[in-house]
Amino acid sequence: MTTTLKALGGRLRGQIRLIWLIGLNTFKETIRDRILYLIVVFSIIVIAATLLAASVSLGQDVRVIKSFGLQAMLFLLLVITVFSGTQLIWREIERQTIYFILTKPVSREIWLLGKYLGLALTVTLVGLIMGTEFLILLKVKGVLELIPTIATICFILLESYLVIAISLFFSSFAAPLSSAIYTFLVVLVGHSSSTLWLISQKASPAIKYLLETIYYLFPNLEKFNLRNELIYGLTVDRAQLLAVLGYFVGYSLVLLLLALAAARRGEY
Amino acid sequence: MLNISRLNKTFSRGLGSPAVADLSITLSQGEVFALLGPNGAGKTTIIKLITGLIRPTSGQITINNLPSSSTAAKQITGYLPEQPQFYRYLNTKELLELAGGLFGLDRQTASRRSIELAKRVGLAADLKRSIGQFSKGMHQRLGLAVALINDPPLLILDEPLDGLDPIGRADFKKLILELKGRGKTIFFSSHILADVAEIGDRVAIINRGRLLKIGSPAAITGGQKSLELAFVGEINNDNHA
Repeated sequence: MTTTLKALGGRLRGQIRLIWLIGLNTFKETIRDRILYLIVVFSIIVIAATLLAASVSLGQDVRVIKSFGLQAMLFLLLVITVFSGTQLIWREIERQTIYFILTKPVSREIWLLGKYLGLALTVTLVGLIMGTEFLILLKVKGVLELIPTIATICFILLESYLVIAISLFFSSFAAPLSSAIYTFLVVLVGHSSSTLWLISQKASPAIKYLLETIYYLFPNLEKFNLRNELIYGLTVDRAQLLAVLGYFVGYSLVLLLLALAAARRGEY
Repeated sequence: MLNISRLNKTFSRGLGSPAVADLSITLSQGEVFALLGPNGAGKTTIIKLITGLIRPTSGQITINNLPSSSTAAKQITGYLPEQPQFYRYLNTKELLELAGGLFGLDRQTASRRSIELAKRVGLAADLKRSIGQFSKGMHQRLGLAVALINDPPLLILDEPLDGLDPIGRADFKKLILELKGRGKTIFFSSHILADVAEIGDRVAIINRGRLLKIGSPAAITGGQKSLELAFVGEINNDNHA
């Protein structure tokens, strides 16, 4: 029994090590991409633009800085996620580097999870850079509420991780451009869930059924939005945060399992 | 060591003609086996089937009685693809260490093996050089080093002599014979008949996915003057059949 458990533990450690190796390699690939540097430079420009917007807002500068800064952070992280996420698998197949990985003792599941981890690491790095810029900005303005701001940034990152799973799911069976369009549409619908629900309640039965199906099927990305709570100083229920965390884990798992099923079928 | 049994592959998007048809080959340990065939004969398809990159329509491939697509079989196999492609942002050492890591080698062993193999394939001076700057021949040498990183008992090499200059080819043939001497089994495809005759213990001629002839280079040559004449004769006969 103990021997079996030890063997299982060793095997699990081996698989985690493989995911880490592939993840680290994917991370290197994305951070050595020049487009990423452009985005980081762009993020600095955005901060400057935030300050400019704040300076012309009559007495609302703190709210403008928080709102504009967080929206910009979310937007840039989503751009990276959609752009890189939908390219990851395709690039590996197109450049035939997939032969290097899949002819080693690496299952397709491990490979895909490694890709997910790699992009998540990249998104985390960019999020940390932008988040630090944002925290410094708030500190300089004397309006920094450390814990709520960090929590808001963490939930933006969490949303980005979910979007990585969405983009990997689509790119496991569609071309990069199609995957990018589908992912973008899911993000768009995911941020309009409450509007969809409101419309569905006033629509004809057929439309109502359609909209409600979309509402339940698509991820509700607004769940990750703590920006208003930060801007208006509202309190956030801990149970609600845990529920969002559970929602993230559940939704990501389903998407990754579907992507894994597609990857298992692939021929290269 | 390697057993291919009644292997068939038809690509669903193709015209329906099989890329590989009812192929059976068995390789014993320590054997150097060459797969010969004209362009489009199905050599790369067979190799991709062995490495699990594509799945057979029917039939079985086992390596030491393990399904060849299993991770356990891959653990004891080294593979060199036709025109190997690697991560251009890595350098030679980083790539070889990554390959070693994927085989479960610890960091120290992977590092030591990387240096040894880079030396062995003539890339010792390029350990820190970015792969993006490599020529075709250097990619081939690096690919061979990657295939050897886990010191596998079985090597699957797709057109390994392609892109190598005469010195590289001579080095490669020397290495193959050295590996054979150490009991390694080598399965390779090629269209360079002189090299095949020189290093292959057995040769299989395939055309349109079918096995036409199998045997030692001497047996294949038969009454012909060279392996090339025998090969051309077999292919022409099959094409006109």
